[in-house]
Amino acid sequence: MTNLPLLSLLIGLPLLGAFVLGMGQLKEQARNLAIGLSTLQLVILGYLFTAFDKSSGIFQFNESHNWFSISLGSMGSFMSKYTLGVDGLSISLILLTGLITWVALWNSTEIKEKLGAYYALVLLLNASLMGCFLAKDLFLFYVFFEFMLLPMYFLIGIWGGPRRNYASLKFFIYTLVGSLFILIVMLGMGLAYVDPYETALLNGLIRPEQGFNIDALKAVQLMIQSQELATSSLVHSFDMQALMDYNNCQITSILHPSSGWLLGGLSAREWGFWLLFIGFAIKLPMVPLHTWLPDAHVEAPTPISVLLAGVLLKIGAYGWLRITIPFFLPEALIAAPILAGLGALSIIYGAYNALAMKDLKKLVAYSSVSHMGFVLLGIAAFTAEGWQGAIFQTISHGILSALLFLLVGVLYSRTGDREIDSYSGIVTLMPRFTVISGIAIFASLGMPGFSGFIGEFFSLMGAFTSPFLHPAYAIIGALGLLLGAGYLLWTFQKIYLGKLYLKNADWSLPDLNKLEMISLFGLGIISILLGIYPGLLFELSEKFVTTLLK
Amino acid sequence: MGLNLLFLGVLLLPWVSALLVAIFPKPILSISLSALFSLSAILFLFNSTVNYKIAYTWFQLGGQEINASFWANTSAQLVLGLVAFVSFCVQLFSKSYLAKDPSIGRYYLYLHLFVGAMTLLVLTDSILLFYGAWELVGAGSYLLISFWHEKTQATQAAKKAFLINRFGDIALLFGLIALGLHFDTWQFSEMHGIAPTLVGIAIITGGIAKSAQFPLMSWLPDAMEGPTPASALIHAATMVAAGVFVGIRVFDITSPETHLFMGIIGAISFLSGAIFAIFQNDIKKTLAYSTISQLGLMWMGMGSDASLFHLLTHGIFKAGLFLAAGAVIHKVHSQSLNDMGGLRKKAPVAAFAYLIFGAGLMGLPLTGGFYSKESIAGYLYTTEQFELLGVLGVGMVLTSFYISRQFYLIFMGPVKEGSSEKNTALNLPIRLLIIASLSIWFSLHPFEMRSYAFLTIYHIPSFWLYITAGTWVLGIAGAYLTRNWIPSGNFQFLPRFWPSLFNLIRWKSRSAQVFEMQFIDRFVNGIAGLQVIIAHLLAWVDRHLVDGILVGGSASLSAGTGKLLSRWQSAKVQNYWTMIIVTFALFLLYALFIK
Repeated sequence: MTNLPLLSLLIGLPLLGAFVLGMGQLKEQARNLAIGLSTLQLVILGYLFTAFDKSSGIFQFNESHNWFSISLGSMGSFMSKYTLGVDGLSISLILLTGLITWVALWNSTEIKEKLGAYYALVLLLNASLMGCFLAKDLFLFYVFFEFMLLPMYFLIGIWGGPRRNYASLKFFIYTLVGSLFILIVMLGMGLAYVDPYETALLNGLIRPEQGFNIDALKAVQLMIQSQELATSSLVHSFDMQALMDYNNCQITSILHPSSGWLLGGLSAREWGFWLLFIGFAIKLPMVPLHTWLPDAHVEAPTPISVLLAGVLLKIGAYGWLRITIPFFLPEALIAAPILAGLGALSIIYGAYNALAMKDLKKLVAYSSVSHMGFVLLGIAAFTAEGWQGAIFQTISHGILSALLFLLVGVLYSRTGDREIDSYSGIVTLMPRFTVISGIAIFASLGMPGFSGFIGEFFSLMGAFTSPFLHPAYAIIGALGLLLGAGYLLWTFQKIYLGKLYLKNADWSLPDLNKLEMISLFGLGIISILLGIYPGLLFELSEKFVTTLLK
Repeated sequence: MGLNLLFLGVLLLPWVSALLVAIFPKPILSISLSALFSLSAILFLFNSTVNYKIAYTWFQLGGQEINASFWANTSAQLVLGLVAFVSFCVQLFSKSYLAKDPSIGRYYLYLHLFVGAMTLLVLTDSILLFYGAWELVGAGSYLLISFWHEKTQATQAAKKAFLINRFGDIALLFGLIALGLHFDTWQFSEMHGIAPTLVGIAIITGGIAKSAQFPLMSWLPDAMEGPTPASALIHAATMVAAGVFVGIRVFDITSPETHLFMGIIGAISFLSGAIFAIFQNDIKKTLAYSTISQLGLMWMGMGSDASLFHLLTHGIFKAGLFLAAGAVIHKVHSQSLNDMGGLRKKAPVAAFAYLIFGAGLMGLPLTGGFYSKESIAGYLYTTEQFELLGVLGVGMVLTSFYISRQFYLIFMGPVKEGSSEKNTALNLPIRLLIIASLSIWFSLHPFEMRSYAFLTIYHIPSFWLYITAGTWVLGIAGAYLTRNWIPSGNFQFLPRFWPSLFNLIRWKSRSAQVFEMQFIDRFVNGIAGLQVIIAHLLAWVDRHLVDGILVGGSASLSAGTGKLLSRWQSAKVQNYWTMIIVTFALFLLYALFIK
C-alpha cells in the first residue's frame, strides 16, 4: 500500500469520478458513484491517519515529479514541480475535507435535477480542496486554489436559491480578487527567490545521489547572497520550502530584507505580507471582507453550504499558516496587534450581526464569521497555545458549522422557510431534532465537553498570554462568547422551546429520518470526542506548531 | 489503588448515570444510581487522606503536559459530601413531586449531568477543568430552569441566568489564566504565595455572577421558574455555592484586598438580599432572595473556613426550606403567599421542617446555622472588620424578620383554600435534612463549638451572643407586628435594567447590520457598479474610438494607401518607368545631399 501514490489518489479519485460523471452517461448511478469514491477516499485517509508519524515535523508521504521548466534567458531558468506532502497542519484538514464531503454527498437528497453534473462538480470541488491542502509547490497550490472557484460558482449558480446569480457572482469576484493578490506576490517571489537545491544541481555543486544537507544548503545560500553564481545559472521555483527562507532571495531583489524599496511607506516584503494576508482573509472570511459569505450561504443548497462553511473557509486559515506567515514571519510578528484587532473585530462584529438576523441560515453564516475570528485571534498570538487553539478551532468549526447548516437544511427541506419567526416550540413535533439541535447549539457556544470550547479557550488564552499582544484583544474577543451565547440561545428558545406555532398550519414536520439521524449525531459525537480528548488533534499539529514558532 | 478506583467512580458515576437514565428514563433507576453515587462519595470521604491528589495525563500542548489533575483537600471533601447528600435527597423528593410529569426521565438526566459537573468542579485541581466544570454547572442550571420549556418565563429566565453567568465566566476565565501565569502552573495545589489583587478580583467577579451577588443578582429570583426540587439543589445548596467555593479555593493565594472586596460585595448582597426577601409575594422568590442574602454572608467570611462552614450548614437548611416549600406548593398548587395560611394542620411535617430550617437560617442555637454564623462573626472580629460585623448584626435582624414572617404567613393564621391530598413520600427527604441540620453533628454544647482539625473555627467573645439574641427578638417581634401585611408583588432591584441591556444589545446588533448593508455592502456593490460603468465606458471607447477611429481609421488609411499604391501596379510600362525614375531620383537626392 505504501508504494501507491496515495496523495495523488486522494486528488485523482474524485477527479476521475468527476470526469466519468462529466461524460454524462451515468445519471442514475451518479450518487452511488460519488459516495463510493468519497468512501474510498475516506479509507485512504484513514490509512494515512494511522500511518502518519506524529513525532516528525516534516512532510510525509511525499510525491515529487517535475512538471515544467522554462528558460528565462539571462534570468536563469524557472521550474515548477508537482510535489505533494502531508504534515501536521494538513493531515487534520484533509481528514476534515474527506469527512465533510462524504457527509455533504449523503445529504444531497434534496438535489433533484442534473444529478450527473451536480455530483461531478462536488467531486471536482473535493479534488481541488484536497489539492490545496496537499500541494507543497506554491504554483500547484495556486492552480488548485483558483480551480476551486469554478465548481463552487456553478454549484451555487445552478442549484442555488432565487438570488443565486448575484450570490455566485459575488462569491466569484470576491475570491478572484483575493487570488489576484496572491498571484501578484507569487510571481514576485518566484522571480526573486532561488531554489537552492535545483540551483546546486544545475551548477554541479552536488550530485543528485548525494542528497541535500544543511551544510550544502548554507553554502548555496551564501553563494546566492554574494552573487557568486551568474544569474543565468539560477533556478527559480515555487517550492514552498525555498520560499520560506529569505536567504534564498536574490540580494538585488526588492523582496530582499536589505532592500530599501518603499511604496506608500511599506517595504516590498510588507506589501507581500499584506497582499497574501488579504488574499486569504477573503476566504476566511475576515471582517470587513466577509459580505460574500452570507449571500453565498443563503443561496447555496444545504450540502454546498456545508462544504462551504465546513471546508472552504478553512483554506483561509490554512493559507495564513502555510504561506503568509512562514514566508513573511518577521513582518507578520510586527503586524500581530493589527491581526489580533481584526480577529477581535470579526468575532464581535459577526456576533452582533448574527443577533440581528431573522433568517436562520444567515444567522449561522454570521456565526461562522464570528467563530473564524477566533482563528485569526489565535494565530495573531504567535504562541503555541494560540496556534494550537486556532488549528483546533478550524477543525472544530468545520464540524460544527456543517452540523448547524445540516440542521437548517432539515427545517428548510420540510417547509421551505428559514425565517426564525416562522417557528416556535417545535420540540413537541421533533424531539430528536431538538436534542441534536440543543447539542449543536451548546457545542457552538463553546460549552466545555465539546470541541468548540477547546478551540476558543486556547485561542483566547494564547492571545491573552502572548508577548506580542495587549491582553485587551483577548478580553474584547471573549465578549464574543457572551454574544454567541446570546444569539444561539435566543434562536434555540425561539424556534424549539415555548408554545407550538408554525407560520403555515399545513406544514408537516416529521422527525429526523435515519440518514439525518446518523449524519447529525455522528458529527455531534465527533465534536464531543474532540472536546473530551483534544489530544487527538493537538498531537497531530504539535510538531508543526513548535517547529514553526522556533 | 482501591481508593483511586473509588475516586474515579465518584467522578464518573454521575455521567454514566446520565447516559443510563437517557436510555432508560425510570425514576427508580435514577434514584438508585444517585444512592450509589452518594454512598461511594461518602465511602471515599471516610477513606481518603486529608490532601488526596491524583493526576491523569490528558494531552500535550506546545511541549507542555496538560494533566487532568484532581485535589480533594478538606474543603473539597466537605462540599462533595454536601453535594452527595443533598443531591440524593432531591432525587428522592423529585420522584413524587414530578410523578405526573411525562418527561421526568429528562429531568433526572439533567440532575445527573448537573451533579457530574458539580463534582468535577469541587474535585478538580486543574485550572482548565475547573473552568470547564464551572461552565457546565451553568449549562446544567440552564437545562433545569428551562425544564418546563413550554413556559415562556422559564425559558427566558434560563437564558438570562446563562447569559449573566457567561459574563462572570469571562471574568473568571481571564482571572484563572492570569493566576496560572502568575504562579507558572496550571494546578491550584502548586500555587504558593499571593496573587496580584486584580487577578483575585477577576476571579471573584466570576463568583459574583455564579453566586448571584450584587450587582448580578437578578437571575436567581427569575430562576425560580424551574422545578422546586431542582431549585433546592442548584439555586440553594450547590451551584450558587460554587461562587463561594472559588473564593475558598483561592483564599490562601489571594491578597487581603481581594478578601476585602469579596467581603464588601458580600455585605451589600447580605443586606439587599434580606431587604428584598421581605418584599416578595412568591414563596420561592423569598427563599431566592434569602439565598442571595445568605451567600452574601458567606462572602463576608471572605473565603475563609468560616465561609466554608456556613456553606455547609446553609446548603442543608436552605435545601430543606426549598423542599418544604415544594411540599407546600405541591399541596396548594400555588406559589403565592395569598393562597397560603394556616397550613400547619394540613402539612404538619412541612411546618415542622420549616420551623427547624428557619431556625437554622436565623442561627438559633441547637442548629448548625448557629455555629456557622458565630464563626463568621468570629472571623470578622479576629480580622477586625468591625464595620462588616455591624452589617452582620443589622442583617440578622432582617433575616429573623423575613423568615419568621414567612413562616407565619404560610403556616399560622387563618386557613385559606387548598386541596388536602396527602403525599407522605415527600416527607422522607425532608426528615433526612432536618436531622442533618441539627447542631449535634458539630457539638453537643448549644453555645460552644468543638474545634476540628479540618475546619478552623473562629471564636468571638460572649458579648456577641447578647447582640445575636437581641436580633432574634427584634426580628420576630417585627414579624409579629406586620403579620397581616402581604406584599402585593415581587419587587426587584432595578427591574428595567436587564431588559434594557438586552434591548441595547439588540439595538447594537441591528446597527451593525445596518452598517453592513449601508457601508460595506454598498461600498462593495459600488465598486462592482463602478466596474460595470467603466466596462461600459471602455466598451464605448472600444467601439467608437478604437474601432471607429483607430482600427477603422487605420483600416481606411491602409485602404487608401492600398488604393494609392495599387495605382502603381497598373501594369502600364509608362507607370513603371515613372516609378523607377522617381525612385532613382529620390535615391540620388538622398545620396548626394542628405548623407
